[in-house]
Amino acid sequence: MRGYLAYFAKRFGQFALVVFIGVNLAYVITHATPIDPVEQSIAVVTSFGNTAPEAIEHMRRSLQELYGLKGTPWEQYVTFWSRILRGDFGPSLSAFPTPVAALIARALPWTAGLLIVSTLITWVLGNLLGGLAGYYQKNRSLKLMGVVAMALHPVPYYIVALALLVAFGFLWPILPIGGGSAMNVPQGWNWPFVSSVVTHSILPALSLILLGLGSWFLGMRSLVSNVVTEDYVIYAEVAGVDSRRILGSYVMRNALVPQVTGLAMSLGGIFNGAVITEKVFGYPGLGSLLVDAVYAGDYGLVLGVTTVSILGVSVCVLVIDLLYPLLDPRVQVT
Amino acid sequence: MEEETMKRIRALLLAACALTLVGSLVSPAEAQGIPQNIPRKELVILENPEGTIKNAGWFNIWAINAGSQSNGLQQVALDTLWYIDPEKGIDGAWDNSLAADKPVYNADFTEMRVKLRRGIFWSDGVEFSSADVKATVDIMIKNPSMRFSAVLISNVASVETPDAETVIFKLKKPNSRFHANFTVRWAGIWILPKHVFEKVEDPVKFDFNKPVSLGAYTLHSFDPDGKWYIWQRREDWQRTTLGRFGQPAPRYLAYVDPGPPDKRVIAQLNKELDVIHDIAPEGMFTLAKNKATRAWFKGFPYGHPDPTLPAVVFNTQNEHFKNRDVRWALALLVDPKAVVMAAYRGAATISAIAVPPTGVHPEAYHLPMEAWLKDFELDTGKRKIKPYDPTVGKQIADMLRPSMGEQIPGDANEIARAFGTGWWKPDPQAATELLERAGYKKQGNQWMGPDGKPFTVRLMVEGDLRPVMTRAGTMIVQQWRQFGIDAKVDLAQGTLLTRRAAGDFDSFIGWSVETWGGHNDLSFFMDSWHSQFVAEPGKSQPLRNWQRWSHPQLDKLIEQTRSIGFDDPKGVEIGKEYVKLMVNEMPIIPLMAYNVFTAMDTTYWTGWPTADNPYANPVTNWGNSRYMFVKIKPAN
Repeated sequence: MRGYLAYFAKRFGQFALVVFIGVNLAYVITHATPIDPVEQSIAVVTSFGNTAPEAIEHMRRSLQELYGLKGTPWEQYVTFWSRILRGDFGPSLSAFPTPVAALIARALPWTAGLLIVSTLITWVLGNLLGGLAGYYQKNRSLKLMGVVAMALHPVPYYIVALALLVAFGFLWPILPIGGGSAMNVPQGWNWPFVSSVVTHSILPALSLILLGLGSWFLGMRSLVSNVVTEDYVIYAEVAGVDSRRILGSYVMRNALVPQVTGLAMSLGGIFNGAVITEKVFGYPGLGSLLVDAVYAGDYGLVLGVTTVSILGVSVCVLVIDLLYPLLDPRVQVT
Repeated sequence: MEEETMKRIRALLLAACALTLVGSLVSPAEAQGIPQNIPRKELVILENPEGTIKNAGWFNIWAINAGSQSNGLQQVALDTLWYIDPEKGIDGAWDNSLAADKPVYNADFTEMRVKLRRGIFWSDGVEFSSADVKATVDIMIKNPSMRFSAVLISNVASVETPDAETVIFKLKKPNSRFHANFTVRWAGIWILPKHVFEKVEDPVKFDFNKPVSLGAYTLHSFDPDGKWYIWQRREDWQRTTLGRFGQPAPRYLAYVDPGPPDKRVIAQLNKELDVIHDIAPEGMFTLAKNKATRAWFKGFPYGHPDPTLPAVVFNTQNEHFKNRDVRWALALLVDPKAVVMAAYRGAATISAIAVPPTGVHPEAYHLPMEAWLKDFELDTGKRKIKPYDPTVGKQIADMLRPSMGEQIPGDANEIARAFGTGWWKPDPQAATELLERAGYKKQGNQWMGPDGKPFTVRLMVEGDLRPVMTRAGTMIVQQWRQFGIDAKVDLAQGTLLTRRAAGDFDSFIGWSVETWGGHNDLSFFMDSWHSQFVAEPGKSQPLRNWQRWSHPQLDKLIEQTRSIGFDDPKGVEIGKEYVKLMVNEMPIIPLMAYNVFTAMDTTYWTGWPTADNPYANPVTNWGNSRYMFVKIKPAN
């Protein structure tokens, strides 16, 4: 137990260091961007109106003060960390004065809902079918599935997404092609809203599942193909153990260990959002929020989303590392 | 056993497919992307080009950059003193909206007096009065970080309201165009409700949700995730300024984010989007095959020419572009036909002069200047040439006719209206002579500058954020390169606004000329071109003189404009002198109007504004688009 606690402390220290370096890098990169949020705001405000040039100068000074962009870089850096430690990312500069945290909180459930569900479905289906394909290597249906998975895998995502849009949004228009829910349906735990969220998520989820399935399928098929040649599997078959038991308890269980690590990494990655999915399907989420913030030079929002993303990936990796010694006896804590 | 397992898998997959289909078929209205519980025949669905609104519940338009403007808020819920339509308007381009008449200035333009309409009410039943106008100004001045604060602080000394229908603006300095701030071109200073804002502690941080409306519509509902807004016609629409023109036909308006261009096309073909704000020419060509779709022009070139002038804007503080000969040489290397084809697939309206070829401008500037342009001589140092070719518009039409057939007009006037008149003849020999006079030399295939280094030009473009302009820029760079200039496309993407203000460019494709369109006064952009506002190199340039160009004669013209009234006929004469100066000096190379491909579907609604019936600008994010709603009718 003492060994495990020492392992825990060491891994937690690594986690804290990764988060610290990651957030600092994000801070440096966002502040190195040539986009000036003040100029972006001025451009938006004045691009269609007749504002006298001297008035623009006045506005520029007022905005710098309002956005808190005055002060030395060191002062701004210290303010940033003092806010982060309090869980406050400050106000969004492109949606001032709304707090960054409020914007993230609004977008995160959409991203998490879509990506967790589609990642889990993809993982379960991909591993299940890949496992079966690896075990029942002569089955023609599963062979065909392997061919389809390999063919789909390298197709660029947006092509599949657009094909689905055209197929189910235009040629056979049975599914909504944009948004997270239907227009004029109040958000809440009511059936019309929940059912419309489900309906609106079918196409984006399907696109993610179709393209994500291949890598899990192929990975699991290879793993199972190796495991079935292990002595203990051959021995079990010779001993007459039921094939379903061999597949479930002997083969799949052992082959799944690296796939679980992959799942954790994928789940951590959902905090990056799914930019192309969100753009193509007009689905609300963190990815679009991040891209829009980059274009607007909204440091606060970019830092908020990247910090959440860094934390998401790091926490998932930490959890997996901490659970591994408990799940897999071959992993020794020393 | 294996067979049994496979049967189970097949059954599972079939069940999943069936569930997906059943789930999607249970609510067909959702599948159509149409608001629930609103009859389609009472609803107009329009594109909000701002896309998804991050801060959807924010309606305080007077705070800077906080929420959406084009979600219907500025089009149908807010109002101000005057509107100038870029086209002909319902009752003339100028419309007295909240004001009962045009502004009245004193002799030295230090005071502007406004008479207001009476009988106009906010949606909560409070009557609009001069107190609202005064509160708008006072709150902006008191809170310097608000959207219109800077312009009001620098102009207004005080506002007096002797009675409920009179407002007197006392100005800090003479300004014969002060009313322009309260005049909608795309937007203006919107009047805020005093009775709401006077109770607010910090107006910068007030969300104004639910907004109290002064326009004919009031907020019905909106998506907290910023995808859609629905507005409902006020029961008392007669008590709004739009009521003068009759009842707005649609009971509901939905402003939506329809997504990328392909989806906009699908949405309109599915009858889920009545008006597309703008789309790439190729999308427009696809939609034009649909009988129900109508664009500004019935046929080619379809798009509505905005009163904005895309041009090659030189940074005249760059050593190369300080020299007028170099600027002219680069202009004479541009083949307008190739640029128009690359940018708009031919669907463009060209302009050789620095005034957009749209609205009332062709009659005031383009056509009267034709004779002068034909006679204009350019001295290359070795000879004098007449660079203007009055037939370029016709050449473009002729070039397109074989592929577009009857869509291309044959009548000379129609061709001029759709494609423009003339442009500069590509003349590499004249460009050579001009460059040589400027001290440039060609070594092998490479032009060298007077300093002996390669003549390098970077042309900044926005990339996929503005594909049409990027394609134009790429074609121009190609033409310069063919001549032996080291020209390159400088891809700015989202940094263009920052770099433009900082002067961090050699040249860029964009615009520094924007006009009213419906009025011939050019001060909207020209006043900011006075030399008093040109920034030092390395300092930030206030809009709109991005070329950082100054000229004593230009200053004189601007000062003359400042000294005369907005409607003074001398304004057009000054404008013509400006045109001549710009042709002589070529600080920007004017290209064409900014054509906006607004696609309007006639399945549910008809009577949209078009070139044949130009009563309003159809582009959905313009404040002026509100006039459409009293002219459109439900389709039978």
